[in-house]
Amino acid sequence: MNEMRSILEESVNRLFADELDWDALTRIEQQGWPASLWEQVCAQGIDRVLASEAAGGMAGSWGDVYPLLRACGRYAVPLPIAEANLCHWLARQAHAELPAGVPGLVSQEVFVDSTHVTVTDARVPWGSQAQTLVVVHAGELLITATSGLEITREDNIGRDPRDHVSGRAEILSRSPLAVPADTVHLLGALIRSAQIAGGAAAALDLAVQYASEREQFGRPLSKFQAIQHHLADLAGLVASADAIVMSACEVFDQRGIAGAGRDARFEIAVAKCRTSEAVEKITRLSHQIHGAIGFTYEYGLHFVSRRLWAWRAEFGGSSEWGEYLGRAAVEQGGDGLWPLITD
Amino acid sequence: MAASIADSLRFEPCEFPASLVELRREVREFLRQELGSYSVVKRSQSWEAYDAEFSAKLGAKGWIGMTLPTAYGGHGRSAFERYVVVEECLVAGAPTAFHWVADRQSGPLIVRYATEAQKQEIIPKITAGKACFAIGMSEPNSGSDLASLRSRAERTDNGWLVNGTKIWTSNAHRADYMIALFRTDSDPDKKHAALSQFVIDLSQVKGITPRPIQNLAGGRNFNEVSFVDVELPPEALIGTEGEGWKQVTEELAYERSGPERYLSCFFLLRQLVDAIKDTASAATLARLGGQIAWATTLRNMSLSIAAKLHAGEDPLLAAAVVKDLGCQFEQGLPGLAQELCELEPTLEGCGTDYQQVLGSLVQLAPSFSLRGGTPEIMHGIIAKGMGIR
Repeated sequence: MNEMRSILEESVNRLFADELDWDALTRIEQQGWPASLWEQVCAQGIDRVLASEAAGGMAGSWGDVYPLLRACGRYAVPLPIAEANLCHWLARQAHAELPAGVPGLVSQEVFVDSTHVTVTDARVPWGSQAQTLVVVHAGELLITATSGLEITREDNIGRDPRDHVSGRAEILSRSPLAVPADTVHLLGALIRSAQIAGGAAAALDLAVQYASEREQFGRPLSKFQAIQHHLADLAGLVASADAIVMSACEVFDQRGIAGAGRDARFEIAVAKCRTSEAVEKITRLSHQIHGAIGFTYEYGLHFVSRRLWAWRAEFGGSSEWGEYLGRAAVEQGGDGLWPLITD
Repeated sequence: MAASIADSLRFEPCEFPASLVELRREVREFLRQELGSYSVVKRSQSWEAYDAEFSAKLGAKGWIGMTLPTAYGGHGRSAFERYVVVEECLVAGAPTAFHWVADRQSGPLIVRYATEAQKQEIIPKITAGKACFAIGMSEPNSGSDLASLRSRAERTDNGWLVNGTKIWTSNAHRADYMIALFRTDSDPDKKHAALSQFVIDLSQVKGITPRPIQNLAGGRNFNEVSFVDVELPPEALIGTEGEGWKQVTEELAYERSGPERYLSCFFLLRQLVDAIKDTASAATLARLGGQIAWATTLRNMSLSIAAKLHAGEDPLLAAAVVKDLGCQFEQGLPGLAQELCELEPTLEGCGTDYQQVLGSLVQLAPSFSLRGGTPEIMHGIIAKGMGIR
């Protein structure tokens, strides 16, 4: 791992560990938007690792930002850090300036005229906090104002805002951006995969810790073979989720998604398909190891579990991406299956 | 915060050097030409299928013992070059059982521990694809608890005298050499430290009798092997007396993380794609795609370990993880194929290619979670690696 990555990883892990213990997460769920923490995140540039240096960012690659996205999953971070980084990456590609404030990432179809973007019931993460909307449409990156939009709040089961946004948004800037039309959906799948990998890591670490401390029948749970099997299974799933997302980020950095021929689309599909599917067994095992305490609100396993259940469905789940991969396979035919994986 | 287990178990991505593209193309072309005449059932068995002629051809191409030193007839090539050849052979369904063990572990073991004379004699035969090795490990009363094995090698004036029984020894009835683990010290307190490895030239010794054991599918690959007053020369001891367990363990990361640990049913997956390609529903495609995602993930993990091994690390824990996940994946494929495609499995020569391959692999699949260490043993290793056992 290069130095920038380890410094970033260490600093975000420290920030989140300090600021987002279970009491803090509980408070945020009760009180809503943690404005001061968001300010702290922005002050440290964590929202713009992928932004250009001119925009105050680190001009990072996806491999660089992966440790941050993973940490966002691990600490159940209730802030649009992953989305903001994606918006900054888009702005960097388009040489566009993203105004200060929370950017609202739009992944749904929109209608664009000369002055406005019309959105119809788009689900925008932290839409009610957004000062801008960021839209990829027909070879352009559009950045709009949010005034006058009709915004209805709705949280996902992780209790992170996925607000409904409708109306005509005034275009602040438009820049040519030669990326495939589904870029936001693909990169959305990549960031959610990374968050799943992080949430999964937290679930494993909590399960190991709990099983080592909790005693029944006169010994720690971790000394029972049945529990060891659960933990070993869980460890394999967690490690494989991390491995495939790390790899997808690297492949994206090398090949992008707009190239001719084989690009990173396949790896992203693999990553989201695998991580989404793994959520079921990861949460089942980590909860089973925890017993009833893991089903309480007081014990914080649920902060990651509920997000894992939300994230596996967002930007396409294992069925959508599995179907994509299956279709690619039958198009290649049996003889082309292996080259699809290796070439 | 307590030390993170998740952070201690990571598989850094490893990209193949671009220079290997040409080698991969060359191997594919060779296999395409060579394998057309083999039955699909034989191809489905891949590294379980024994074919001396094929191995000699692969050896002539320089694709066996690739990483062994040139001084002994090896090719001095990188672990990644070998990895390319091995995975291409597996997915193409090349019958590699004749040279499999020699290429994977016996060759490297001999280079590391054998005498100069043994290296000069044996390694060139391995790289030519003309030496088949068997591994004598399990015994009738020592399976997963391997270190409890009881076969004895006793020192004599002329070398060693061996008595005992090995079991599940693949190809012992037709191998040229066997590398076996015997007890060389009767001290009951030394369970692991009393074991030593031996290399046996099966053409030169008397008293070894293999008895083939038929597997459930009717195949006769493995054996029960009895050793009755077998006299071995002093130099048959390989490595250090009493360090056999350590030497065996050193090879395990190679043995458990290789592409054969998830690709055993890839030939079936290829056939399945063709069997369902015109009729598959979206739901079926999604299930199929899920398997492709698994295969890709496992390949990344296996490669990541190959890179660690290449760098001189000993990722025993990571290898156990790959073996465990790979086994779940490959063992699940016949059942999944049966779900996605309503064709019955058939015997060789009956039904379509797909049906024959399914018929072959559905019967072999139970062995996937037995050979090379069971999932239960892998889980124990993983638990130990996590510090809870």
